[in-house]
Amino acid sequence: MADPMRIRATARDGAVNVKVLMSHEMETGQRKDASGKLVPAHYIRSVTATHQGKTVLTAQWGPAVSKNPYLEFDFKGGQKGDKVVVTWEDNKGEKRSDEGVIN
Amino acid sequence: MSRWNNAKLVVFALAAGACVQAAAQTAKPLYPGVGRAATNAEIAAWDIDVRGDLKGLPPGSGSVSRGETLWEAKCTSCHGSFGESNQMFPPLIGGITPEDIKTGRVAALAKGGEQRTTVMKLSRISTLWDYINRAMPWNAPKTLTADEVYALTAYLLNQGNIVPDSFVLSDKNMAEVQARLPNRNGLTRDHGLWDTRGKPDVSAKACMKNCGPEPRITSSLPDHARGSHGDFVEQNRLFGPVRAVSLSGGAAVAAVTPPAAAPAADPAQALAVKAGCMACHTAKQRGIGPAFAEIAAKYRADSGAENKLMAKVKSGGQGVWGNIPMPPFANLQEQDLRTLVRWILKTE
Repeated sequence: MADPMRIRATARDGAVNVKVLMSHEMETGQRKDASGKLVPAHYIRSVTATHQGKTVLTAQWGPAVSKNPYLEFDFKGGQKGDKVVVTWEDNKGEKRSDEGVIN
Repeated sequence: MSRWNNAKLVVFALAAGACVQAAAQTAKPLYPGVGRAATNAEIAAWDIDVRGDLKGLPPGSGSVSRGETLWEAKCTSCHGSFGESNQMFPPLIGGITPEDIKTGRVAALAKGGEQRTTVMKLSRISTLWDYINRAMPWNAPKTLTADEVYALTAYLLNQGNIVPDSFVLSDKNMAEVQARLPNRNGLTRDHGLWDTRGKPDVSAKACMKNCGPEPRITSSLPDHARGSHGDFVEQNRLFGPVRAVSLSGGAAVAAVTPPAAAPAADPAQALAVKAGCMACHTAKQRGIGPAFAEIAAKYRADSGAENKLMAKVKSGGQGVWGNIPMPPFANLQEQDLRTLVRWILKTE
Protein backbone atom coordinates (compact mmCIF):
# COMPACT_ATOMS: atom_id res chain seq x y z
CA MET A 1 0.00 0.00 0.00
CA ALA A 2 1.30 3.39 -0.92
CA ASP A 3 2.05 6.01 1.71
CA PRO A 4 -0.79 8.39 2.62
CA MET A 5 -1.29 11.60 0.71
CA ARG A 6 -0.80 14.92 2.39
CA ILE A 7 -3.87 17.09 1.92
CA ARG A 8 -4.30 20.66 3.02
CA ALA A 9 -7.59 22.41 2.32
CA THR A 10 -8.14 26.03 3.30
CA ALA A 11 -11.25 28.16 2.78
CA ARG A 12 -10.53 31.65 1.56
CA ASP A 13 -12.41 34.28 -0.42
CA GLY A 14 -15.47 32.05 -0.86
CA ALA A 15 -13.50 29.22 -2.40
CA VAL A 16 -11.57 26.29 -1.02
CA ASN A 17 -7.93 25.88 -1.92
CA VAL A 18 -6.75 22.28 -1.88
CA LYS A 19 -3.12 21.19 -1.97
CA VAL A 20 -2.28 17.53 -2.32
CA LEU A 21 1.06 15.76 -2.21
CA MET A 22 0.83 12.16 -3.40
CA SER A 23 3.44 9.55 -2.74
CA HIS A 24 3.93 7.52 -5.90
CA GLU A 25 6.85 6.24 -7.97
CA MET A 26 5.34 7.38 -11.31
CA GLU A 27 7.54 5.08 -13.41
CA THR A 28 7.22 5.93 -17.08
CA GLY A 29 8.11 2.49 -18.39
CA GLN A 30 10.91 4.06 -20.44
CA ARG A 31 13.61 3.89 -17.82
CA LYS A 32 16.17 1.09 -17.55
CA ASP A 33 17.60 -0.22 -14.31
CA ALA A 34 21.28 -0.88 -13.58
CA SER A 35 21.18 -4.26 -15.33
CA GLY A 36 19.68 -2.71 -18.47
CA LYS A 37 16.17 -4.09 -18.05
CA LEU A 38 13.18 -1.81 -18.55
CA VAL A 39 11.56 -0.70 -15.32
CA PRO A 40 7.86 -1.52 -15.79
CA ALA A 41 5.48 1.41 -16.06
CA HIS A 42 3.73 2.32 -12.83
CA TYR A 43 1.89 5.60 -12.79
CA ILE A 44 -1.32 7.21 -11.57
CA ARG A 45 -4.00 7.07 -14.21
CA SER A 46 -6.89 8.92 -12.65
CA VAL A 47 -7.40 11.34 -9.79
CA THR A 48 -10.76 12.23 -8.29
CA ALA A 49 -11.56 14.77 -5.59
CA THR A 50 -14.94 14.85 -3.88
CA HIS A 51 -16.50 17.28 -1.42
CA GLN A 52 -19.38 15.93 0.68
CA GLY A 53 -19.85 13.12 -1.87
CA LYS A 54 -19.95 15.46 -4.86
CA THR A 55 -17.12 15.24 -7.35
CA VAL A 56 -15.27 18.54 -7.65
CA LEU A 57 -12.31 17.43 -9.76
CA THR A 58 -11.38 14.56 -12.02
CA ALA A 59 -8.11 14.22 -13.86
CA GLN A 60 -6.62 11.71 -16.23
CA TRP A 61 -2.88 11.43 -15.75
CA GLY A 62 -0.15 9.64 -17.62
CA PRO A 63 3.53 8.80 -17.36
CA ALA A 64 4.56 12.43 -17.97
CA VAL A 65 3.63 13.43 -14.42
CA SER A 66 6.58 13.56 -12.03
CA LYS A 67 7.37 11.29 -9.11
CA ASN A 68 5.50 12.17 -5.89
CA PRO A 69 3.08 14.51 -7.72
CA TYR A 70 1.90 17.77 -6.23
CA LEU A 71 -1.60 18.95 -7.12
CA GLU A 72 -3.29 22.20 -6.22
CA PHE A 73 -6.81 23.30 -7.16
CA ASP A 74 -9.67 25.55 -6.00
CA PHE A 75 -13.37 24.80 -5.87
CA LYS A 76 -16.40 26.78 -4.77
CA GLY A 77 -18.99 25.90 -2.18
CA GLY A 78 -16.93 24.37 0.61
CA GLN A 79 -17.32 25.28 4.27
CA LYS A 80 -14.88 25.09 7.12
CA GLY A 81 -14.99 21.66 8.75
CA ASP A 82 -16.15 19.91 5.57
CA LYS A 83 -14.16 16.97 4.29
CA VAL A 84 -12.39 16.74 0.96
CA VAL A 85 -11.58 13.24 -0.24
CA VAL A 86 -8.92 12.68 -2.88
CA THR A 87 -8.55 9.31 -4.61
CA TRP A 88 -6.05 8.09 -7.14
CA GLU A 89 -5.87 4.86 -9.12
CA ASP A 90 -2.77 3.72 -10.98
CA ASN A 91 -2.22 1.51 -14.01
CA LYS A 92 -1.71 -1.56 -11.81
CA GLY A 93 -5.15 -1.07 -10.31
CA GLU A 94 -3.82 0.13 -6.94
CA LYS A 95 -5.96 2.75 -5.25
CA ARG A 96 -5.46 5.17 -2.45
CA SER A 97 -7.97 7.47 -0.83
CA ASP A 98 -7.28 10.12 1.78
CA GLU A 99 -9.31 12.91 3.30
CA GLY A 100 -8.54 16.36 4.54
CA VAL A 101 -10.62 18.75 6.64
CA ILE A 102 -11.16 22.28 5.36
CA ASN A 103 -9.90 24.91 7.73
CA MET B 1 22.54 48.46 6.55
CA SER B 2 22.37 49.35 10.19
CA ARG B 3 22.24 45.67 11.10
CA TRP B 4 25.46 45.11 9.22
CA ASN B 5 27.15 47.97 10.96
CA ASN B 6 26.04 46.67 14.33
CA ALA B 7 27.35 43.23 13.53
CA LYS B 8 30.73 44.66 12.64
CA LEU B 9 30.78 46.69 15.81
CA VAL B 10 30.09 43.64 17.93
CA VAL B 11 32.86 41.66 16.29
CA PHE B 12 35.23 44.55 16.74
CA ALA B 13 34.20 44.95 20.33
CA LEU B 14 34.77 41.25 20.94
CA ALA B 15 38.24 41.34 19.51
CA ALA B 16 39.01 44.45 21.44
CA GLY B 17 37.53 42.89 24.56
CA ALA B 18 40.00 40.04 24.36
CA CYS B 19 42.80 42.61 24.18
CA VAL B 20 41.52 44.47 27.19
CA GLN B 21 41.31 41.28 29.21
CA ALA B 22 44.79 40.30 28.20
CA ALA B 23 45.90 43.81 29.07
CA ALA B 24 44.39 43.55 32.52
CA GLN B 25 46.49 40.49 33.16
CA THR B 26 49.76 41.73 31.76
CA ALA B 27 49.13 45.42 32.56
CA LYS B 28 50.56 46.23 29.17
CA PRO B 29 47.81 46.89 26.59
CA LEU B 30 48.69 45.97 23.04
CA TYR B 31 46.60 48.79 21.60
CA PRO B 32 46.03 51.28 24.42
CA GLY B 33 42.90 53.36 24.12
CA VAL B 34 41.36 51.21 21.39
CA GLY B 35 38.02 49.45 21.93
CA ARG B 36 36.35 48.19 25.07
CA ALA B 37 35.24 44.86 26.45
CA ALA B 38 32.05 43.49 24.93
CA THR B 39 29.07 43.62 27.25
CA ASN B 40 27.30 40.42 28.24
CA ALA B 41 24.28 41.46 26.17
CA GLU B 42 26.45 41.91 23.10
CA ILE B 43 28.01 38.51 23.55
CA ALA B 44 24.60 36.90 24.11
CA ALA B 45 23.27 38.43 20.87
CA TRP B 46 26.21 37.07 18.97
CA ASP B 47 26.46 33.66 20.64
CA ILE B 48 23.46 31.88 19.12
CA ASP B 49 24.95 28.62 17.92
CA VAL B 50 23.43 25.29 18.90
CA ARG B 51 25.89 22.46 19.15
CA GLY B 52 25.47 18.85 18.11
CA ASP B 53 25.05 17.88 21.76
CA LEU B 54 22.24 20.49 21.92
CA LYS B 55 24.23 22.85 24.09
CA GLY B 56 23.17 26.42 23.38
CA LEU B 57 19.52 25.54 22.71
CA PRO B 58 17.24 28.21 24.21
CA PRO B 59 14.15 27.16 26.19
CA GLY B 60 10.89 27.14 24.27
CA SER B 61 8.46 24.91 22.42
CA GLY B 62 6.33 24.77 19.29
CA SER B 63 3.69 22.42 17.94
CA VAL B 64 3.36 20.92 14.49
CA SER B 65 0.09 22.78 13.86
CA ARG B 66 1.61 26.13 14.84
CA GLY B 67 4.49 25.28 12.55
CA GLU B 68 2.06 24.56 9.72
CA THR B 69 0.52 28.03 10.01
CA LEU B 70 3.93 29.68 10.12
CA TRP B 71 5.15 27.56 7.25
CA GLU B 72 2.26 28.59 5.02
CA ALA B 73 2.93 32.23 5.84
CA LYS B 74 6.72 32.40 5.56
CA CYS B 75 8.21 29.34 3.90
CA THR B 76 5.81 27.99 1.26
CA SER B 77 6.79 30.40 -1.48
CA CYS B 78 10.27 28.88 -1.75
CA HIS B 79 9.99 25.39 -0.24
CA GLY B 80 6.44 24.38 -1.21
CA SER B 81 3.51 23.64 1.07
CA PHE B 82 4.91 20.30 2.18
CA GLY B 83 8.61 21.12 1.89
CA GLU B 84 8.55 19.10 -1.32
CA SER B 85 9.21 21.87 -3.86
CA ASN B 86 12.12 21.52 -6.22
CA GLN B 87 11.60 24.86 -7.93
CA MET B 88 13.73 27.26 -5.90
CA PHE B 89 15.88 24.95 -3.80
CA PRO B 90 16.37 21.19 -3.55
CA PRO B 91 13.45 19.58 -1.72
CA LEU B 92 13.58 19.51 2.07
CA ILE B 93 11.30 16.52 2.46
CA GLY B 94 11.12 13.14 0.80
CA GLY B 95 13.20 10.07 0.06
CA ILE B 96 13.06 8.44 3.49
CA THR B 97 11.25 5.30 4.61
CA PRO B 98 10.07 4.04 8.04
CA GLU B 99 12.90 1.52 7.78
CA ASP B 100 15.44 4.39 7.65
CA ILE B 101 14.06 5.80 10.90
CA LYS B 102 14.67 2.40 12.52
CA THR B 103 18.20 1.92 11.21
CA GLY B 104 19.37 5.52 11.37
CA ARG B 105 20.90 5.21 7.92
CA VAL B 106 19.03 6.38 4.82
CA ALA B 107 19.12 3.49 2.37
CA ALA B 108 18.50 5.70 -0.66
CA LEU B 109 21.60 7.77 0.19
CA ALA B 110 23.81 4.71 0.44
CA LYS B 111 22.40 3.34 -2.80
CA GLY B 112 22.67 6.64 -4.66
CA GLY B 113 20.72 7.77 -7.69
CA GLU B 114 17.87 9.34 -5.69
CA GLN B 115 17.47 13.07 -5.37
CA ARG B 116 18.87 14.06 -2.00
CA THR B 117 16.69 16.01 0.37
CA THR B 118 17.51 17.85 3.56
CA VAL B 119 15.67 15.35 5.73
CA MET B 120 17.59 12.50 4.09
CA LYS B 121 20.98 14.02 4.82
CA LEU B 122 20.34 15.52 8.24
CA SER B 123 22.33 13.70 10.91
CA ARG B 124 21.99 16.23 13.76
CA ILE B 125 18.71 17.87 14.68
CA SER B 126 20.67 20.84 16.02
CA THR B 127 21.78 21.62 12.47
CA LEU B 128 18.22 22.05 11.28
CA TRP B 129 17.19 24.14 14.29
CA ASP B 130 20.29 26.32 14.15
CA TYR B 131 20.00 26.89 10.41
CA ILE B 132 16.37 27.97 10.57
CA ASN B 133 17.18 30.14 13.57
CA ARG B 134 20.10 31.99 12.01
CA ALA B 135 19.30 32.05 8.32
CA MET B 136 15.56 31.78 7.72
CA PRO B 137 13.44 33.22 6.22
CA TRP B 138 15.93 34.15 3.58
CA ASN B 139 14.60 37.68 3.15
CA ALA B 140 14.51 38.32 6.92
CA PRO B 141 16.92 36.11 8.83
CA LYS B 142 16.93 36.11 12.65
CA THR B 143 13.37 37.42 12.80
CA LEU B 144 11.88 34.18 14.15
CA THR B 145 11.42 33.73 17.88
CA ALA B 146 12.77 30.59 19.54
CA ASP B 147 9.22 29.18 19.83
CA GLU B 148 8.64 29.78 16.12
CA VAL B 149 11.85 27.96 15.25
CA TYR B 150 10.72 25.01 17.41
CA ALA B 151 7.34 25.02 15.64
CA LEU B 152 8.86 25.12 12.15
CA THR B 153 11.33 22.38 13.01
CA ALA B 154 8.45 20.29 14.37
CA TYR B 155 6.46 20.86 11.17
CA LEU B 156 9.35 19.73 8.97
CA LEU B 157 9.92 16.66 11.12
CA ASN B 158 6.22 15.87 10.83
CA GLN B 159 6.31 16.21 7.05
CA GLY B 160 9.16 13.74 7.07
CA ASN B 161 7.01 11.30 9.12
CA ILE B 162 9.54 11.48 11.94
CA VAL B 163 7.11 12.88 14.53
CA PRO B 164 3.27 12.54 14.74
CA ASP B 165 0.78 15.33 13.90
CA SER B 166 0.15 16.14 17.56
CA PHE B 167 3.82 16.53 18.42
CA VAL B 168 5.12 19.51 20.38
CA LEU B 169 8.84 20.06 20.02
CA SER B 170 10.75 21.74 22.83
CA ASP B 171 14.25 22.04 24.23
CA LYS B 172 13.34 19.10 26.51
CA ASN B 173 12.60 16.55 23.79
CA MET B 174 15.05 17.54 21.05
CA ALA B 175 17.30 14.67 22.13
CA GLU B 176 14.44 12.18 21.67
CA VAL B 177 13.92 13.47 18.15
CA GLN B 178 17.64 13.17 17.47
CA ALA B 179 17.32 9.46 18.27
CA ARG B 180 14.70 9.14 15.51
CA LEU B 181 16.48 11.03 12.73
CA PRO B 182 16.63 8.86 9.62
CA ASN B 183 20.29 9.62 8.93
CA ARG B 184 21.55 9.89 12.53
CA ASN B 185 24.10 7.13 11.88
CA GLY B 186 24.96 8.38 8.44
CA LEU B 187 27.69 10.81 9.37
CA THR B 188 31.08 9.49 8.28
CA ARG B 189 34.48 11.09 8.18
CA ASP B 190 36.21 8.18 6.50
CA HIS B 191 35.47 9.11 2.93
CA GLY B 192 37.03 11.05 0.09
CA LEU B 193 36.15 14.53 -1.01
CA TRP B 194 35.42 13.10 -4.45
CA ASP B 195 34.09 9.69 -5.34
CA THR B 196 36.98 7.49 -4.29
CA ARG B 197 34.94 4.30 -3.91
CA GLY B 198 34.37 4.69 -0.22
CA LYS B 199 38.02 5.27 0.62
CA PRO B 200 39.43 8.52 1.96
CA ASP B 201 41.58 10.38 -0.55
CA VAL B 202 43.94 11.39 2.23
CA SER B 203 44.82 8.79 4.83
CA ALA B 204 47.90 10.02 6.61
CA LYS B 205 48.44 8.38 9.97
CA ALA B 206 51.12 9.31 12.45
CA CYS B 207 53.65 6.48 12.39
CA MET B 208 55.24 5.61 15.70
CA LYS B 209 57.44 2.59 14.88
CA ASN B 210 58.78 0.62 11.91
CA CYS B 211 58.04 3.56 9.66
CA GLY B 212 59.98 2.56 6.59
CA PRO B 213 63.26 4.03 5.38
CA GLU B 214 64.63 7.16 7.03
CA PRO B 215 63.98 10.20 4.87
CA ARG B 216 67.08 11.34 3.02
CA ILE B 217 67.80 15.07 2.86
CA THR B 218 68.68 15.87 -0.73
CA SER B 219 69.03 19.64 -0.58
CA SER B 220 69.41 22.37 1.98
CA LEU B 221 69.80 26.11 2.19
CA PRO B 222 73.40 27.18 1.42
CA ASP B 223 75.23 28.74 4.35
CA HIS B 224 75.43 32.19 2.80
CA ALA B 225 71.66 32.31 2.42
CA ARG B 226 70.81 31.31 5.97
CA GLY B 227 69.67 34.24 7.98
CA SER B 228 68.70 36.35 5.00
CA HIS B 229 65.11 36.19 6.27
CA GLY B 230 65.87 36.25 9.97
CA ASP B 231 65.98 33.30 12.33
CA PHE B 232 63.41 30.77 11.11
CA VAL B 233 63.24 29.17 14.54
CA GLU B 234 61.55 32.28 15.85
CA GLN B 235 59.15 32.36 12.93
CA ASN B 236 58.15 28.70 13.11
CA ARG B 237 54.73 27.74 14.31
CA LEU B 238 54.82 25.79 17.54
CA PHE B 239 52.81 22.90 16.10
CA GLY B 240 53.15 20.83 12.97
CA PRO B 241 56.08 18.88 11.64
CA VAL B 242 58.18 21.76 10.27
CA ARG B 243 61.20 22.69 12.37
CA ALA B 244 63.73 25.29 11.35
CA VAL B 245 67.45 25.00 11.99
CA SER B 246 68.65 27.49 14.55
CA LEU B 247 71.00 30.17 13.29
CA SER B 248 72.79 30.47 16.62
CA GLY B 249 74.55 27.15 16.34
CA GLY B 250 72.82 24.40 18.23
CA ALA B 251 72.01 21.09 16.66
CA ALA B 252 72.07 22.27 13.11
CA VAL B 253 71.36 19.75 10.44
CA ALA B 254 74.55 18.94 8.59
CA ALA B 255 74.51 20.70 5.28
CA VAL B 256 74.06 18.20 2.55
CA THR B 257 75.56 18.95 -0.80
CA PRO B 258 73.12 17.98 -3.49
CA PRO B 259 74.44 15.15 -5.61
CA ALA B 260 75.98 16.51 -8.79
CA ALA B 261 74.08 15.54 -11.88
CA ALA B 262 75.74 12.59 -13.55
CA PRO B 263 77.52 13.84 -16.66
CA ALA B 264 75.72 12.81 -19.81
CA ALA B 265 77.48 10.00 -21.58
CA ASP B 266 77.12 11.68 -24.90
CA PRO B 267 77.11 15.44 -25.63
CA ALA B 268 74.41 14.83 -28.23
CA GLN B 269 72.25 13.16 -25.58
CA ALA B 270 72.79 16.13 -23.30
CA LEU B 271 71.72 18.32 -26.17
CA ALA B 272 68.56 16.25 -26.66
CA VAL B 273 67.71 16.62 -22.97
CA LYS B 274 68.38 20.34 -23.08
CA ALA B 275 66.34 20.90 -26.23
CA GLY B 276 63.39 19.04 -24.73
CA CYS B 277 63.32 16.10 -27.14
CA MET B 278 63.17 13.63 -24.28
CA ALA B 279 59.80 14.96 -23.12
CA CYS B 280 58.16 13.00 -25.93
CA HIS B 281 60.84 10.66 -27.29
CA THR B 282 63.01 7.93 -25.82
CA ALA B 283 65.68 5.81 -27.39
CA LYS B 284 63.91 2.47 -27.49
CA GLN B 285 60.30 2.85 -26.41
CA ARG B 286 57.60 4.63 -28.34
CA GLY B 287 55.98 7.24 -26.15
CA ILE B 288 54.14 10.33 -27.30
CA GLY B 289 56.45 10.38 -30.27
CA PRO B 290 58.29 7.54 -32.00
CA ALA B 291 61.39 5.96 -30.44
CA PHE B 292 64.72 7.14 -31.89
CA ALA B 293 65.47 3.54 -32.79
CA GLU B 294 62.31 3.40 -34.89
CA ILE B 295 63.26 6.58 -36.72
CA ALA B 296 66.77 5.29 -37.32
CA ALA B 297 65.42 2.01 -38.71
CA LYS B 298 62.99 3.79 -41.03
CA TYR B 299 65.60 6.09 -42.58
CA ARG B 300 68.61 3.78 -42.49
CA ALA B 301 68.63 3.29 -46.28
CA ASP B 302 67.75 6.91 -47.06
CA SER B 303 70.84 8.96 -47.88
CA GLY B 304 68.92 12.27 -47.75
CA ALA B 305 67.44 11.49 -44.35
CA GLU B 306 69.73 13.84 -42.46
CA ASN B 307 68.56 16.99 -44.24
CA LYS B 308 64.96 15.80 -44.35
CA LEU B 309 64.85 15.20 -40.61
CA MET B 310 66.63 18.45 -39.84
CA ALA B 311 63.90 20.32 -41.72
CA LYS B 312 61.27 18.30 -39.90
CA VAL B 313 62.63 19.05 -36.45
CA LYS B 314 62.95 22.72 -37.31
CA SER B 315 59.44 23.19 -38.66
CA GLY B 316 57.54 20.41 -36.90
CA GLY B 317 55.38 17.77 -38.52
CA GLN B 318 52.48 15.42 -38.19
CA GLY B 319 51.17 12.25 -39.75
CA VAL B 320 54.28 10.13 -40.26
CA TRP B 321 54.05 8.42 -36.87
CA GLY B 322 50.48 9.18 -35.92
CA ASN B 323 48.18 12.08 -35.28
CA ILE B 324 50.03 13.72 -32.42
CA PRO B 325 51.91 16.65 -34.00
CA MET B 326 55.56 17.37 -33.37
CA PRO B 327 56.01 21.03 -32.46
CA PRO B 328 58.56 23.08 -34.45
CA PHE B 329 61.98 23.61 -32.83
CA ALA B 330 62.95 26.69 -34.80
CA ASN B 331 65.35 27.96 -32.13
CA LEU B 332 67.90 25.17 -32.50
CA GLN B 333 71.20 26.13 -34.04
CA GLU B 334 71.99 24.51 -37.36
CA GLN B 335 74.99 22.76 -35.88
CA ASP B 336 73.14 21.43 -32.87
CA LEU B 337 70.35 20.26 -35.13
CA ARG B 338 72.80 18.31 -37.26
CA THR B 339 74.40 16.78 -34.17
CA LEU B 340 71.00 15.73 -32.86
CA VAL B 341 69.76 14.21 -36.10
CA ARG B 342 73.00 12.34 -36.67
CA TRP B 343 72.80 11.03 -33.12
CA ILE B 344 69.19 9.95 -33.60
CA LEU B 345 69.96 8.20 -36.85
CA LYS B 346 72.75 6.27 -35.15
CA THR B 347 70.38 4.88 -32.50
CA GLU B 348 70.22 1.11 -32.54
